[in-house]
Amino acid sequence: MTDIDEAMLIAWVDGELDEVTRRRVDRAVADDPALAARLEQHRRLRARLAGHFAPIAQEDVPASMQAMLASPTVVPIARPSRRWSWVTGGAIAASLLLGLGIGHMSGGQDGPIAVRNGAMLARGSLATALDSQLASAGEGGSIHIGLSFRRKGGGWCRSFDGAAMAGVACRTDAGWQLLQAVSGKGQASEYRQAASADPRLLATIDGLIDGAPVDAQGERAAQAAGWR
Amino acid sequence: MSFERDLLAILPRLRRFAASLSHDRADGDDLCQAALEKGLRARDQWQPGTRLDSWMYRIMRNLWIDEGRARQRAARTFAPEEAGADVGYAGDKAVEQAMTLSDVDRAMQALPPEQREAIALVLVEGLSYKEAAAILNIPMGTLTSRLVRGRGALIELLGEAA
Repeated sequence: MTDIDEAMLIAWVDGELDEVTRRRVDRAVADDPALAARLEQHRRLRARLAGHFAPIAQEDVPASMQAMLASPTVVPIARPSRRWSWVTGGAIAASLLLGLGIGHMSGGQDGPIAVRNGAMLARGSLATALDSQLASAGEGGSIHIGLSFRRKGGGWCRSFDGAAMAGVACRTDAGWQLLQAVSGKGQASEYRQAASADPRLLATIDGLIDGAPVDAQGERAAQAAGWR
Repeated sequence: MSFERDLLAILPRLRRFAASLSHDRADGDDLCQAALEKGLRARDQWQPGTRLDSWMYRIMRNLWIDEGRARQRAARTFAPEEAGADVGYAGDKAVEQAMTLSDVDRAMQALPPEQREAIALVLVEGLSYKEAAAILNIPMGTLTSRLVRGRGALIELLGEAA
């Protein structure tokens, strides 16, 4: 006979009993096979439930969710030295504004896209941003790089977001090929929703991506290797 | 500054919690995405120094409850008119559910929401009773009685005979 109830058994399994009560349960269980069997049921149930859902927390999180959290304000990674950052940052910002804001799509020398052999290739300032800009540096130019990731079958892709245009480009031998481009959300303001959160782009990324986007370290390494 | 980064770090767990509440993985990811959006919008209401995971669990759980209520309202609203059509549809749905869901998923589905959320927080997420009761905003005694009833039902449903 025992005064051990169901709540105490499950509290034992959940590790919620104080030492004294736990010993009391242990003693009762040792004397009572039926109680021992019930405790074992509860122990197995917890293990089965935890084991059933555990793999989900080991999976890579979908790119669409990662993209929601990939804001340029996130990462306080080392920036270039102060002395140069205003020069390069300013120059890049200005050239990007020219390229994407008022450049012509195909005719002008400064246009961000060239069509070669039926493929859209990034050129000029957009190509420069894709080559050299680090999302993790949080640079405040008119182009933000969103995610950098490996595509299925190999090769690097990056998503970007600018005032005039947002898209996904993948590195090929010929350069950065635009796989998708959508209209940007106009002039950047601090509160605008990035166009890179556009569901069409996220769907493209989900379709392309192999694993998870790289972190700041992986991004720097890939850039240093020339996105090869 | 590190709000997004901290969210990213707990995202796998949030996704697991969403899956344990939801009908299937796709519904779980929808719920997780909605909770992320809400958390980002309401970030000013989170107090630095407090647990971000508890805060997000609570947001997700409240969304899930609201969604369940909305679905019930919709079911009541449409039921009389489409009762005939509903029978066949519900049957198909039940068959589909039986075929695609695992035993554990099905058993979790069968629990009333207040038992399912308690089980999910303690058994799946591994929270203490105190943390779980705070997230659900219920007294400890209420939490433990839900855990007892929910587990009894699960053992029954899963045939976890000794």
